[in-house]
Amino acid sequence: MHEFLAQLANGVELGAIYALIALGYTLVYGILELINFAHGDVYTFGSFVALGVLVGLRAAGVLHGAGLILGIAAALIAAIIASALLNAAIERLAYRPLRKAPRLAPLITAIGVSFMLENLIELWQGSAPVPFPNVIPNPQLQIGALEVGVQQIVVVALAIVTMVALHFFVQRSRLGKAMRAVAQDRDAASLVGIDVNRTIAITFLIAGALAGVAGFVGGVSFGSAWFLNGFGAGLRAFTAAVLGGIGNIAGAMLGGFLIGLLESFSTWLIGGQWSNVAVFSVLILVLVFRPSGLLGESLPEKV
Amino acid sequence: MIYTYAFVAIAACVAIERFHNRRAKATIVLLLAAFLAIAPRFYGNDAVFSVLADAAVYVMLALGLNIVVGFAGLLDLGYAAFFAIGAYTYGMLASPQFGLHLPFWALLFIAAALAALFGALLGAPTLRLHGDYLAIVTLGFGEIVPQIFQNLTKYTGGPNGIAALDVPTFFGHSFGASVMPYYYIALFGIAFALWISRNLRESRLGRAWMAIREDELAAKHAGIDVLRSKLAAFAIGASFSGIGGVLFAAKLALVSPDLFGFQVSVLIVSMLVLGGMGNIVGVVVGSLLLTIVNSALLPQINSLVDTAFHTTLDLSNLHFLIYGAILVGIMLFRPEGLLPSRERRAELHHAGEAAVDA
Amino acid sequence: MSLLGLAGVTKRFGALTALSNVNLNVEEGAIFGIIGPNGAGKSTLFNLLTAIYRFDEGSISIGGVSIAGLTTQRIARLGVARTFQNLRLFGNASALANVMVGEHLLLQANIVDALLNSARERRERLEAERRARELLRFVGVVGVEEHFARNLSYGTQRRLEIARALAARPRLLLLDEPAAGLNPSEKLELVSLIRAIRDTGATVVLIEHDMGLVMNLCERIAVLDYGEKIAEGSPREVREHPRVIEAYLGAPA
Repeated sequence: MHEFLAQLANGVELGAIYALIALGYTLVYGILELINFAHGDVYTFGSFVALGVLVGLRAAGVLHGAGLILGIAAALIAAIIASALLNAAIERLAYRPLRKAPRLAPLITAIGVSFMLENLIELWQGSAPVPFPNVIPNPQLQIGALEVGVQQIVVVALAIVTMVALHFFVQRSRLGKAMRAVAQDRDAASLVGIDVNRTIAITFLIAGALAGVAGFVGGVSFGSAWFLNGFGAGLRAFTAAVLGGIGNIAGAMLGGFLIGLLESFSTWLIGGQWSNVAVFSVLILVLVFRPSGLLGESLPEKV
Repeated sequence: MIYTYAFVAIAACVAIERFHNRRAKATIVLLLAAFLAIAPRFYGNDAVFSVLADAAVYVMLALGLNIVVGFAGLLDLGYAAFFAIGAYTYGMLASPQFGLHLPFWALLFIAAALAALFGALLGAPTLRLHGDYLAIVTLGFGEIVPQIFQNLTKYTGGPNGIAALDVPTFFGHSFGASVMPYYYIALFGIAFALWISRNLRESRLGRAWMAIREDELAAKHAGIDVLRSKLAAFAIGASFSGIGGVLFAAKLALVSPDLFGFQVSVLIVSMLVLGGMGNIVGVVVGSLLLTIVNSALLPQINSLVDTAFHTTLDLSNLHFLIYGAILVGIMLFRPEGLLPSRERRAELHHAGEAAVDA
Repeated sequence: MSLLGLAGVTKRFGALTALSNVNLNVEEGAIFGIIGPNGAGKSTLFNLLTAIYRFDEGSISIGGVSIAGLTTQRIARLGVARTFQNLRLFGNASALANVMVGEHLLLQANIVDALLNSARERRERLEAERRARELLRFVGVVGVEEHFARNLSYGTQRRLEIARALAARPRLLLLDEPAAGLNPSEKLELVSLIRAIRDTGATVVLIEHDMGLVMNLCERIAVLDYGEKIAEGSPREVREHPRVIEAYLGAPA
């Protein structure tokens, strides 16, 4: 029972991170029908930016008392801004010129961008995992039979706050409405005066910002950053987005938590070396049997 | 030295694409074949032919993937899985692992058949999926297969893989430590793969693939069995990869799960993209170029830089940057690849007239 | 005898009824026109005939065979070929290759023939190419056989698509707005082409907006409006039918 609860907490924590990344896939897919293969690496980039800020501030000796809270906030905000800008730059340079190309062209390009980012991050940070500064206090709390760290709670809370904010943004704000309109019908949206390019760029900014949050949260949670983190996490998050129903924001969150739980429980029950197999089997099974995902609606083919 | 061989081969490929005359083409092909067969007696060393043999395996893989991606238009991001299946077929059935020592030649066929079978097994449920979804499913498959080989330690040697694989024999003569037999087999393999590729492209099945690639709905209206045609592409493409896997494993005398990751699949896709998807000769050029860059050019630049600046850089890290840059650069600036097919170039040439016609 | 029969065919998209209780019979060897205002359900009807959509009620038979539950590709085997309102050619392939794909069902070569370039494969390829060139001449696409389809002029693409459909030697040829975008002289050529096609024994059903062309070409015409068949008959009968006049000129005063 004790172990079960611990795995549950683990799964939820992992799931929160996957959900944040999955939202980026889903937002971009919703609007462009493109699997932004480089999205996982934008997450890695965010992680390293947060790490860099924290290391710098620690070296400056300001990470205590109120300085600690400000420092953490600075790291988070830096990760958000850096990832958002990176993602928007990728869209502008690599995807926008291919908007009218055959459908596989942007996907191939996205894989190329992903490989380049991974390699560049490796050149910048080396090929070994870099420990994330352990500056956030992590006292353990006992809630009944469940023992959780404060960090875990912060991680999950931060993720949930972000997701709720995103939900309201997309549903209520002018920009959010424009995003939904472009997602539904680009030509019609442009006819009613929506700036399609700008809307798509903003979507990438938001997706990148979410990856930045995930990068910070993931760094804290895993205790390290690694140039290849984004590949595995990205694929899991993409699986989550597909499981929930790609293009569907609530679906991405649900999928994220489910995949997080699947990973933690498969690691516990059948061993960590099988968790990849478990996750990718889910991906294949969902795509084969329910490509619209748990919450998605099936789309009729356009003729 | 290696550049001499690569240059001759690539120059011959370009010439084949330029000439329209069938006889001229055939002559070039024969001359190239004769050169590649005879020149090694006078020129080159084991290191060179080792690289060339590897290059030839990659050319085969690229030609196989070209059937799936270039002909049928199905983006397969897990192609290395079939390479792994071929290699492990040899690793498990021609080694002390189970005490089975099946002959190399038989295993070429067995691996081709097994890879084709797995291609069909993966394809049967997934080939209904469109475009990117299929790409992602195959990627997942490509991640699962090496992982399974890694996990089933009892049968596959786990993360360490299987070593001391049998050295193939040819009518009782062992290949020994020489790389030449692999070089010649791989050359023969390329010739075979080229022949099959050309046959397929000109066949009824090849036209069906073209139709599916260009417009699946219109293909169905022509009575084409889309699913079966796609399955055929998957199975045939996979079998090329299976054969390549056997060659690769036998030459290395080793298999291990880390040799068949996503990077390998992307490497092969990069070869196709670089040379020009769908164009057989372009694909050959693309894969030769990339292999030479990987296994000759980069190490040389690396050692030059290290001697000049007394550094210990590891430029092999740059591989992925190069693949990535190729994928992005080609897609953005030259989507038809370095060496587009003659038809397509003729088309670009005619485009002006057609516009006037319209 | 009737080649194509629809009885009580209904198709809904959610709350919208695109076709409602449509009955239709097309005789073998006819040139049959389907007209109606935009959104009347004409293209939906074609899409039911080739199983792009499934109908909700009623029955459709082609050559006496019910097509309920059949796939597009099975229906092609019944001898149905079509063109599309917004051309669906194989753009990055030559005109010749486009037509040769159309001959798919006439050929037998299988995967082994393909791999080995067998005698059967070679013989069929030669025949297929010869027939394809003949067909291209028949529809008037000459001198551009090796050009990529996407680089041909619009009128040529329209004729190429008809050639591709004809390549299957269909009993029933469905033409979806074949005259759309053609100039007057091209339209005249189209009329004689469609007559020539019928004279080879095929039955032609076409959707068209150009009234003059339909009245001139078709022996029988059905009129759809808001998913219902409001009239059917000879061009003259249809032209004088009060509901047709109403549909085209708006509600009577």
